[in-house]
Amino acid sequence: MHHHPSQDELDLAAAGRRRFLTSGASGLGTLALASLLNDDGALADDVSPQFAHFAPTAKRCIYLFMEGGPSQMDLFDEKPKLKELDGQPMPESVLKEIKFAFIQKQSAQLMGSPRTFRRYGECGMALSDLLPHLSTCVDDIALVRSMHGDQFNHLPGQLMMLSGSPLQGRPTMGSWLNYGLGSESKDLPSYVVLTTLGRGLPGGASSWSSGFLPSQYSGTLFRNQGSPVLNLANPKGISRDVQARSLRAINELNFLRLGQTGNPEVASRIKAYELAFRMQQTAPELLDLSGETQATLDAYGVDRKDKPTGTTAGFSGSYARNCLLARRMIERGVRFVTLFLSTWDHHSNLDSGLKRYTQIADQPVTALLKDLKQRGLLDETLVVWGGEFGRTPLGENRVNFKTVTGRDHHPHSFSMWLAGGGVKGGQVIGETDEIGWGVAKDPVHVHDMHATILRLFGLDHERLTYRFQGRDFRLTDVSGQLVSKLLPFS
Amino acid sequence: MKTALYLLIFYIIVVASEFSGGNDIYAADNAVDFRRDVAPILQQRCLTCHNDRNQRGGLSLHSAKAADKGGDSGQVIVSGKPDSSYLLDLVTPSEGTAEMPKEAPPLKAKEVATLRRWIADGATWPADARLKPPTHWSLEALTCPVVPTKAKVSAALPNRNPIDAFIAARHHDANLTAAPQADRRILIRRLSLDITGLPPSTSAVDAFVANDKPEAYEQLVDDLLKSPHYGERWGRYWLDLARYADSEGYLGDALRPHAWVYREWVIEAINRDLPFDQFTVEQLAGDLLENPTLDQRIATGFHRNTLRNTEAGVDLELYRTKEIVDRVNTTGMVWLGLTLGCAECHDHKNDPISQSEFYQFYAFFNNADEVGVRVTRPWEIADYEASLQSWKPAWSELVAELQPYQKEDLTEGQQATLSKVLVASNKSFDWKMILDFYDTKAGGWDNLQMRVDAHAKKKPLPPATMARGFARRMEDRRDTFVHVRGVYTRHGDKVHPDTPSVLPALNVRGEEPDRLDLAKWLFHENNPLTARVAVNRIWQHLFGQGLVSTPNDFGNEGAQPTHPQLLDWLATEYRRLGWSRKAMIRLIVTSSTYRLSSRSNAVPTQTQTSNQLLWRQNSYRVSAEIVRDLHLAVSGLLDRTIGRRGIRPPLPAFVTEVGRSVKWPVSQGSERYRRGMYIFFKRTVPYPMLMTFDTPDSTMSCSRRERSNTPLQALTLLNDPVFFECAQSLAKQLCEQHGEDIAAAVDDLFQSCLGRRPASQERSYLTAAFHDVQRLEQKERGKDGSSEQIKVTAMTAVARIVMNLDEFITRD
Repeated sequence: MHHHPSQDELDLAAAGRRRFLTSGASGLGTLALASLLNDDGALADDVSPQFAHFAPTAKRCIYLFMEGGPSQMDLFDEKPKLKELDGQPMPESVLKEIKFAFIQKQSAQLMGSPRTFRRYGECGMALSDLLPHLSTCVDDIALVRSMHGDQFNHLPGQLMMLSGSPLQGRPTMGSWLNYGLGSESKDLPSYVVLTTLGRGLPGGASSWSSGFLPSQYSGTLFRNQGSPVLNLANPKGISRDVQARSLRAINELNFLRLGQTGNPEVASRIKAYELAFRMQQTAPELLDLSGETQATLDAYGVDRKDKPTGTTAGFSGSYARNCLLARRMIERGVRFVTLFLSTWDHHSNLDSGLKRYTQIADQPVTALLKDLKQRGLLDETLVVWGGEFGRTPLGENRVNFKTVTGRDHHPHSFSMWLAGGGVKGGQVIGETDEIGWGVAKDPVHVHDMHATILRLFGLDHERLTYRFQGRDFRLTDVSGQLVSKLLPFS
Repeated sequence: MKTALYLLIFYIIVVASEFSGGNDIYAADNAVDFRRDVAPILQQRCLTCHNDRNQRGGLSLHSAKAADKGGDSGQVIVSGKPDSSYLLDLVTPSEGTAEMPKEAPPLKAKEVATLRRWIADGATWPADARLKPPTHWSLEALTCPVVPTKAKVSAALPNRNPIDAFIAARHHDANLTAAPQADRRILIRRLSLDITGLPPSTSAVDAFVANDKPEAYEQLVDDLLKSPHYGERWGRYWLDLARYADSEGYLGDALRPHAWVYREWVIEAINRDLPFDQFTVEQLAGDLLENPTLDQRIATGFHRNTLRNTEAGVDLELYRTKEIVDRVNTTGMVWLGLTLGCAECHDHKNDPISQSEFYQFYAFFNNADEVGVRVTRPWEIADYEASLQSWKPAWSELVAELQPYQKEDLTEGQQATLSKVLVASNKSFDWKMILDFYDTKAGGWDNLQMRVDAHAKKKPLPPATMARGFARRMEDRRDTFVHVRGVYTRHGDKVHPDTPSVLPALNVRGEEPDRLDLAKWLFHENNPLTARVAVNRIWQHLFGQGLVSTPNDFGNEGAQPTHPQLLDWLATEYRRLGWSRKAMIRLIVTSSTYRLSSRSNAVPTQTQTSNQLLWRQNSYRVSAEIVRDLHLAVSGLLDRTIGRRGIRPPLPAFVTEVGRSVKWPVSQGSERYRRGMYIFFKRTVPYPMLMTFDTPDSTMSCSRRERSNTPLQALTLLNDPVFFECAQSLAKQLCEQHGEDIAAAVDDLFQSCLGRRPASQERSYLTAAFHDVQRLEQKERGKDGSSEQIKVTAMTAVARIVMNLDEFITRD
């Protein structure tokens, strides 16, 4: 997108130039470059809200993406009947049209959950014993047990959940929101991604791609240690002072060019450098947790230690840190934070795998909810928890498996939860059938969830469009029904 | 007050009825005739959105019956009652605007009156009168327009060729003054960047500025078009359209280690100016040509660049169909400027393409098998032999070390086996065949055996490059069906390969139409789209924006051409020039229009800030790859090798780790400094610098890149290690060359990077920065720093400043 600055911007740039010329050429007094141009600048280029269709209740989102497909009947959706039928085959009629990634249909057997469920909170929401922390704040969450989608493979499922299409190349939700609403962050990118990964994400960087939207709407990958963003730190041998002096010269010369050519793009370039410099000052501070109380650090479990070996070594501390960083980003105006935790893809050793992953995630996620609430941020911050699909009520009997200890991919019913951002907590939406195969009540398709999330942000999913290859594209493609129970004004 | 209001209403009614009934524009003997008077109005102003196929608001006006039926809001024409006819409410302007036609100027009073009179007279519509929507401009036959006369040629714009006449005529009509011609330093940089994507050297700039021969400019253009770097720059544009990448995409995102062969073909074909028609035929159907050459088979790699999903357990047939859908969409956009993809699930909503026509097009590609094409490049053999030579000595030593362990009294046959195995020295060394010949109990054997194994594993393999191409499917040929609502398992009607009926008919060579027929049809003299679309893209690459700003959409929803006459003239000219891309580029860049200054303030009195009518050139940031090339070129680090396989510049692990098992072995030696277009493009982990500067993600064909301007770009230019290394390298050269003469070094730096000398203020800003950094460094390093080191550091800072200027990465 060619950025055409407004007359205001040009005036500001001109004012900046005057100030440059009068501020003298020596010393580093102009270090405060940041205030030189206008202060309302969004980091990701300037975009004013183009599509505020309704009054929003959510302004920011933390998407806790559970890569791999967490097992709903072991965490969120108690199925006593399934337990009772453990070891029985599935009725042929159910299986006929079904495609599995790995299960052998003929010999597959139902597999009950070994977990125990209890009711929690005032609302009496039933949760698995694997979620002891989350069970203390069920009154803040809306649990959707009737999610369903169409994709039974990881990447198509993840792309569907993240971008509304199983095909690679579409903008992800964070990109759509920033495209529609603009950025509110002065010092940080408005769409940030943090990861806790073992062997990487199926989609790599396409999981936060802006697709056909301009690249400024793309997610920015952050590290949770060291220098948070690629190329944020000065090159070796360039001190902060030299950097500041260099930026001053760059701007001086760019201002001259602006005057000579009148090309407004130069003004944008100048501003981009101001913001880049500001980001260099503030982004490292984001990772500095020394201002957090010990109580906060303990609540998230930032200092939790894992066994130093194994594929998930260090995950507990890393994920806790990411949850805390998400809150810090929200405080700084970041619109959309995605935290990837990989992988919940438990084809085998499901029970021990879930124990491990809930041990990693349950405490920090709960701490995040409570921390946001306590700081008054939860009202405007939507927290979303979920993977790309659920898992089968059938045990997985893949050809080369000796024993059945896990579950296969299952897009026909799964659970997700939301909290904050105007969503009414303490409610369960939808039901699955008694063995947890299909949705029995209030189905919520992935497109419906997207439509609803956009609505919480004040956006009409049918009107948030972008013209590409002759078509007006939407996050929700050609579908999407609002889930009224999730909306505060229904 | 009340009386006044009544009077006003009375007046309106009287005047309105005067207008509708009393003001008779048709004499009795000249009654409204539907075909002559009404049909043209309906057709031109209504039928685009209200026709047989496209019935916006449920309304079609293509036949008497349809018109009588009305639309979603009921009847629109009430015979004999103009005042009750909703149609007239919609089209009658009030205060200069009307409800209909949407997004178009309202009907003229005379046209409204005609419709009113026609309805009043009974709205007669002969049963056999069926109306078709007006032909969209891009589908109109292509004819060579008349070049505007000299009368309209502006004094500000020297008339060097007909392009200037077309442009000047529009300036004249819009009362615009053209900007002055750009100065020669800007012109040579503009031409070099546009044609080769590399900056001119200081000596080339000086020579061009000093050359006052009248043909100097044309000579420069010809030289640049002869440069092999021309094929790289224009090849990269084509690779955007071809959605080229070095991996498959999706979860596996497996490498396509030999995708480069296609890229190399593109560069080479463009360099030898393979005419665009032949260039097309070879890519769409090279395999179907008679006795196709290796090159022609490699060319079919164009449609092998689609994404591929091979995730364990996926529905492979589904993704095969998605690849074909992508091939249809891409072909439509690249050659026809038609968004055929909109008809995958239903008839196209805006353009005259039906869903079955989509699948007819699909059928062309449904029987193309994907094949490997064996390729061996001389440099691959040379590389192989060189690495084999450097591998051999250590092997010979190991063989010699084996000698003492060899058992005595081996038979001749055993001897032969032994030397055969040792000479073959395969990677998986076959000990079983020869172990018995050695005394393996002797001391040191185990260690030796291990070393032999290890070295055998390192043995280089001969090149086994397989390009990716197409071949006609001979067995189990697939039938093609309409996919109901785009779902491939839901078969609709069976269809055969064919082209959309709105375009000229296909000439078929054999029994069933094939890809070769399709490719030739694109260049059929009656096909109006291909030439328009192709020439528009060339224009876009030379002005930053096409004459049609939606280069992949020439349909109803696409942009209108800003200069329709010029577009058509260029399109006919492209044909006349035998589809020579070089000749077309030469024609455009030798115009005065191309040479205009790009400064926004070039004409102080200009009131119009928009540049749609091209009163000046455009100034814009160069594309991602060129940002890198500029840095490498001015620093002297650039490795100018053309073609061959891709490279991997260094990347921090946290970037590569987000993908699944991404191996990123960093390229060694000068390879690291090859041009940006050779950076290995892994679809799930694209090189961040490229993405930050808007390289398309290669999932879909891209005909126009975005040009964003963001803080992440600033951070990249400031801090990316590659760019910093360039600044260091340049600074070192400047220090060596100019010693203590800082002003001379700054001048040299400016010339190398920007092709011009600094103005005095610029020079003083930079020398001040140099001295400030020098002082800061002295303070920082104290006694430890040598003055020479400090000087180089300060010069590096200054080089980095210039390489971060807007001007450096902008093509003016």
